[in-house]
Amino acid sequence: MKKFILILTLLALLIPSTVYAQEQNPWGEVFDDNGNLRSDLVDLGVTTEHPDWMSVELPFGQSLNLDADYHRYQTANGNIVVLPSASTLFFMAMNPQESGLANSVGMMGNGYGGLISFLGLVAGNSVDWGRLSTDHPEYKNPDQFWGAVLNGQQDVWTYFSGWGFITTLLQMSWNDTALRTAYLMYLNGAQNCASIPGGCSGVVNPPPPQPKICPEPKVTIQQPTISIQKTAPSNPLVVGQDTENRRGADVQARVTIPPVIFTWYEPIYEDEEVCEPSTTVGGAPVCRTESVFKECREHVEHLPDAVASMQATAALDAASQAWITGKLGQTHYGAYIHQANFTLIPGLGSWTGGCDGGGTCTATGQALKVPFADPGTFDLRLNVVTTGTRFMGIPITQPRQLSADGKLQVYVTLPALVP
Amino acid sequence: MKEIPVSKRNIIVAIILAVVIALGILAIQALPLHNGSQPSVSNQEDTLASKAAAAALEAFFHVDYRNEKDIWLNDVCAVSTPTGCQFISAGADLLWSKFQEARADVTATVTPQEKVAETATEQVWKMLIALSAPLPGSNKIQDTAYVAVIKTDNGWKFDRFLLEPEIKAILARQAMTVTPIKEGK
Repeated sequence: MKKFILILTLLALLIPSTVYAQEQNPWGEVFDDNGNLRSDLVDLGVTTEHPDWMSVELPFGQSLNLDADYHRYQTANGNIVVLPSASTLFFMAMNPQESGLANSVGMMGNGYGGLISFLGLVAGNSVDWGRLSTDHPEYKNPDQFWGAVLNGQQDVWTYFSGWGFITTLLQMSWNDTALRTAYLMYLNGAQNCASIPGGCSGVVNPPPPQPKICPEPKVTIQQPTISIQKTAPSNPLVVGQDTENRRGADVQARVTIPPVIFTWYEPIYEDEEVCEPSTTVGGAPVCRTESVFKECREHVEHLPDAVASMQATAALDAASQAWITGKLGQTHYGAYIHQANFTLIPGLGSWTGGCDGGGTCTATGQALKVPFADPGTFDLRLNVVTTGTRFMGIPITQPRQLSADGKLQVYVTLPALVP
Repeated sequence: MKEIPVSKRNIIVAIILAVVIALGILAIQALPLHNGSQPSVSNQEDTLASKAAAAALEAFFHVDYRNEKDIWLNDVCAVSTPTGCQFISAGADLLWSKFQEARADVTATVTPQEKVAETATEQVWKMLIALSAPLPGSNKIQDTAYVAVIKTDNGWKFDRFLLEPEIKAILARQAMTVTPIKEGK
């Protein structure tokens, strides 16, 4: 219940209450007058990294590298808006310099006020406020303490009195990937994408220079459709019980990527004869040919963003493995896991792809008769990387990483004694 | 001069007593001294918490490259909180592939050393880990770990390894509590 209230409160923080577009305010490039995301934002999707500041050092020189993930948007002026997951934001706040948090121009609406509220909610109950007020009477309220933490002036770890909240926070992020409470703005992020959280993945390159006389070019990225699923048979049986055919199951992966629409404007000039009266009385007018601007001609290019690589895997989930070695093993002595992981594509199957004349690219991968030998639920995972787009040799969009998940059920028949 | 008669039986009893006392003294001296690395387990809760921490670390550092990652994870998760299980799982892919590449085949013996912090439902333990062989990327076979364990409805469970700044903060706090205050002149 407590976690539910926390999630609701965090989501309330997420709702852009009143953000007004202003000339000087970069947030005007992000939200319209009603507080909604502007339609001209380019959705760069979710990017995942393994930064050092989210690495957990273990004994014997080992380490656990946790995922930092960000949903990012690019504004029309080339600024990048970054929405970290809740756990990523927490670790960013704990490492403001290393994570690049300190380089952002603040959060939506009220600078770092929202981030201070976030820290108070997720970690406030785990701070020993009594000891803190004894050691630092200068902090008159918790917000002053969190402000000092974000400015790098205060070590927060000294005052944590609990430990479980960090794993709870991580689980909250994993279970609800939409739980993103902070909009961080990076000015000129498109130009300096290597130094912003998430790097350059998917960032739209600055458009080719155009004469000021015509509108700036526009890039529209449409969402791809991507799926991975079992296609046959309806109820796959473990191959050990299908000794004649060893049918297994067929898995198909598909992705369709609509074209990136690049709109640019060409200034059209026409030659005109311009004449001026002669400077001498009775003389003929002096004429010359001049190039005169007539119009901006709009060009709409449908740029294909082809599939560069496709990978698909299947993994028997932990609950099924536990069932085989536990419950099944009790009734069928010696039950064991034959093969929990399969590399479907490339491996047992292959993929083909291409783009049509309209710029839509598709790719299909198939792995036929995959010999699943264990009963249970297999988690299917599809990862696709695109080539990115170019126009007249100029990169327009960076390669994108796309992914999809699916499930596949494999059955086993078990004898039962009927009284 | 007065003669005190001592019976032969009394002399034998006295000799036996002297021998028993001497042997007792020798036996006490031969007993091992109190080892500072043994746990300062003050009550049953501490015992259960430290056992949970030891069980989790033994499972975590029991690496057999011939097994699938999920078998290893299941063993760790069986003695962990659900969130602790997810925490380990999140970073397990890279770690396990490293173990498999190096064909690691290791078991661990874990000894609780000291409870370094606690709240009503959480404890942090310093644990001594001894491995049967080094893990890839290290030549050590003995190291310490600081781990958080949490009291759940199903008893004490491993939650996670502490982060570097958390360990530093706990050690600094300990140092402050044992450092005598110097009087000024």
